[in-house]
Order: sequence, then C-alpha cells, then structure tokens
Amino acid sequence: MNAEKNDDNLVLKTECITKRFGGLVAVDKLNINVYNGQICALIGPNGSGKTTAINLITGIYNVDEGIIEFLGQPIQGLMPHSISWMGIARTFQNIRILGSQTVFENALLGKGYGNGGASIIHTVFNSASYRREVVASTKEVDEVLDFVGLSDLRNEKACNLPYGKQRILEIARALITKPKLLLLDEPAAGLNSQEIHDLMELVKKINKQGISILLIEHRMEVVGKLADWVFVINHGSKIAEGTFDVIKKNPVVIEAYLGRGGR
Amino acid sequence: MAKLIELLRKHALLVIGIILLIAPHITSQYEFYVLQRGVQNAIHVVGLLILTGYGGMLSMGSAALLAVGAYAYGILLVKFGLSPWLGMILATALTTIIGAGLAFPSFKLSGPFLVITTIGFGEIVRILLLNLEPITGGAYGLSGFAKLFPNLQWVYYFMVITLMFVIIGTERIGRSRLGLALKAIRQDEVVAESMGIDVRRAKLVAFSLSAMLAGLSGIFLANLTGYMSPDSFTSAESTTYLLMVVMGGMQSVIGTVISAIILTGLPEVLRFLSSSRLLVYSLILLVYLRLNWVKSDNAFLKFLKSITKRFGMYTSSTEPGNRS
Repeated sequence: MNAEKNDDNLVLKTECITKRFGGLVAVDKLNINVYNGQICALIGPNGSGKTTAINLITGIYNVDEGIIEFLGQPIQGLMPHSISWMGIARTFQNIRILGSQTVFENALLGKGYGNGGASIIHTVFNSASYRREVVASTKEVDEVLDFVGLSDLRNEKACNLPYGKQRILEIARALITKPKLLLLDEPAAGLNSQEIHDLMELVKKINKQGISILLIEHRMEVVGKLADWVFVINHGSKIAEGTFDVIKKNPVVIEAYLGRGGR
Repeated sequence: MAKLIELLRKHALLVIGIILLIAPHITSQYEFYVLQRGVQNAIHVVGLLILTGYGGMLSMGSAALLAVGAYAYGILLVKFGLSPWLGMILATALTTIIGAGLAFPSFKLSGPFLVITTIGFGEIVRILLLNLEPITGGAYGLSGFAKLFPNLQWVYYFMVITLMFVIIGTERIGRSRLGLALKAIRQDEVVAESMGIDVRRAKLVAFSLSAMLAGLSGIFLANLTGYMSPDSFTSAESTTYLLMVVMGGMQSVIGTVISAIILTGLPEVLRFLSSSRLLVYSLILLVYLRLNWVKSDNAFLKFLKSITKRFGMYTSSTEPGNRS
C-alpha cells in the first residue's frame, strides 16, 4: 500500500530522540516518520540501536531527549501499557511468549488488563455481563488465530509449538491489541525459507487491513520484498533513508555494513 | 482407578465440601480443632496463591496481615464495643487497605528485595502489637471478645461456606484477564506491559485480594482461639503459609486448599515422634518437593496418579518458561 506523505497521514514521528546508557549513546538524534498504511523497515548492523529504538517507542525505556508522536499525540514518558492501548503493538526479537500458557491464553493476553472490561466483582460472581465479555473476547481471539492460521493449535501449550509458529503467535498476540502500528523486531530470524514466505504473506495481509508496520530485519530479501521505505541506522543515528532499491546502492550504507572498500 | 481419579478431579470442589461437612461428626474434639485451623489456613493461603502462585510476588508478611485482621477484629469489639459482624466487615476492610499499601513497594522492587520489604512489614506489625500495650494488650495478648456465633461448630460451617466461595471465586479469577495478567507478570513483566496490561493495577489488586483473605482468616482465627498474642504471627508462620502454596502446586486452587489442610494437620499427626517430629516433618516436605509433583497442574491428583503408575523416584521434565 502506498500512501501520501503529508503530515496528516503521519502515524509515527520521532524527532531527535536520544538514549544514553552511561557513556554509550545507543540512539542518537533519530528521526523516523512512518506514514499511514506503509511498511517501513529499520535496518542497520548489529548493535546499531534498532531494538533500543523500538523499546523507546513502546515506552520500555524513556527517551533522554526528543519527541515521539503517535497520531499527532506525544507519547514519550507514558507507561508501556498506555502506549499499547493507544495502538502500538510489538513483537520481540527473542521470542517471548508465556511457555506454560496455551496458545489461546497467550493471544488473549493482548486484550490487556485495566482498559475497561468486567470488574472483579462481576468476575467472581460470574455475572451475565462478564459472561458476555468472555464470549466476545473468545470470539475475537479465535478470529485472529484463524487469521494467522493457528486455530488448530488453539489449546496447545505455547512452549510445545515449533519456533516458526511461536513467532506467528507473537504476531497474533500483538494483533489482539488492535494496533494501528505494528513493530516487528526481526520476525524472520531463525525461520526457514518456507516459513519466511508464509510470514511475508502474513505481514502483507496485516498491512492490507490498514495497519502500518515498522519492521526490523536483517534478511535483505525480506526487506526488499516488503518495505515501502527503509531507514538505515548505524551507531544510533540515521545514515540513510529511501526505497530499498536506492538504499542498496548507497555507498554510506554499504560502508556501514561491509566496511570501507567493501565493494 | 484412573477413572475414579478423573471423577475426583472433575468434582474436587464437591468432594472437599462433602468431606469438610461430614468431618465434624466423625472427629474427636481435638481433631476437629485442627481441622478448623486447617480450613482457616486454607482461606488465607488461597489469597497467597493469587499473589505468589499467579503473580509470582513472594510475600513474607502474610502472617502480619493475618495479625492485622485478628487484632482489628479484637480491638474493635473489646475497645469500641462493636457487634461481631460489623467488626468483621471493618477489620476485613482495614486489612485490605493495609495490604494494598504493601503493593506500592512491589512497583519498583521484585524478587528478594520485595521479600525483604515484606519481612520488614511483618516485623513492624509484630513490634507494634507488642508495644502498643494499651490497645493491643502487648505480650499478654488480647482476649474477651465476642464471637461471630455462640457455637464453634457454626463458626466452622460458616468458614467452610466462605472457603467454598473463595475457591470458586479464585478459580474464576485465575481464568479471567486478571489471572492471566498476573501469570504474565510472573513469567515476563516486559511482555505483560507491552501487551497493554496495567502492571501496577494488577499488582495492587492482587495484594488487596490476598490481604482481604488474610484479614478474613485472621478474624476466623480470633474466633477459633478466643485469644491472640503477637507470638502467633511471626515471620516463621509466614514461611509456613508460603510453603502451603508451594506444596499445593503454585497454580491450583484445590491443590492449595488440600495442601493447607494437610500441612496444618501433619505436625499433629507426627506428634507421637515427640522431639524428632520437626525433622520428620521437614523430611516429608523435602521428599515431596524432590519428586517434583508440585510442578504438575493439580499436585494432589498427580500425586495419586503417579502412585498408581509407578513406585520409586521419578522426576518429570520441568516446564520451560515457567519461572516459578
């Protein structure tokens, strides 16, 4: 999906965000704009601050400087759950699912806690409104599991799932939060070529539903096929941005990845 | 045999209810007292299950909350002359509020640091009870308050009904979004908050619920013994309560209730061993833990199952991703 690039269409805008860990500047004056309906990719060599950037956007870390705007509202300094409620969901680089819970329960986790929903009194007395809520959320979760193709594993313990399915489950869990922006942290890492193909189809399908996506990825074939726009960062700051075809010919990018004279 | 166990598992609540209702008629007076204490402990320990089993927050201050409930009840009745039922409601409310206050350190602290905080809370309460002599009676203890029912048997039945209600309520909470939120906080707090779980609110609710049940249990304790002193609420007691949760499987409400009743009775059963009693008690617990049945879904029933299956040392593979 291609989108017009004007400020009304902005989903995510980071302005000069900086994060320091002691003397190390992990993210340095980073500017990223994600427009509605886009699939953007964030690439860079190992340790360049990609995951830190995602942690800043989702509120796991607080920015030292700079502004993060989501749909025109500043979100820096908010708690991670508030940011999730506003419509930013994420997956994790190293899979972080709840191993001893079922697939269904893992997905249900995306419904959150504290954002409305039945009170504890209703829960304990199993009131009619609570039962209705359970039916509704069960239906919702089942629909998403169906959408990503995990419905046959619904009652399986999550730790028994193969690696690729666990990645899909993380995406399903993120989708339950009803995001407007989905941050995928290396979704293709450790997958075989068939699984990568399925994953790319899924990401396209999610994007078609109007969810903007910011993708961190090391596999260039994935970035090339999915991303409308690519940001390249190195040592925490942006060194280039553009479409993938332009980026891959950029000498600064090649130098960051392969070193001087790498060609 | 397997079918029988399956049947027992399905109707565990009913079975426990029937056993508890029949028990007073077939036990001696002393055994009945131990059973009463078992039921009273079970109410308390189910609260601890919500906090520690589901939420993974270790609290060593649970005996202190028990004390707050018991003393608040006693003081309201003796010094303020309230009726037992009004005293019970106010004392439970007070304990809930104090327990909710305990949640605030847990926003920033976890693991051993939270344990130290709760131990500190327990000691503060114990020393306050000891030294606020005009109100609490100090080391002499507090007695002479009215009971909920004139007859102890009625108190017992009231406790059993409360316990049944607590079991059903806690199982529902365990399956609800709150229960899932707490389980997520135990396993991975970063994931929990990233998925839109208000971690602080969930912790606050877990601490409040567990304090409410501790307070209620403390009031029942006051009713059973008719006397209280700071000695009954040491941090060693808190350890025992924690142990009941661990032995109950950390996840199962029914398992926790059974474990609370058995662990209350076990020292009494072993009384014939006189001085080596505590040694044998610890040995039994160690062997039980070593055999790893605790990790199973429903500790007691898995225990029965494994006896029917095989005899001897047996360790199941541990669950990955479960940090409990």
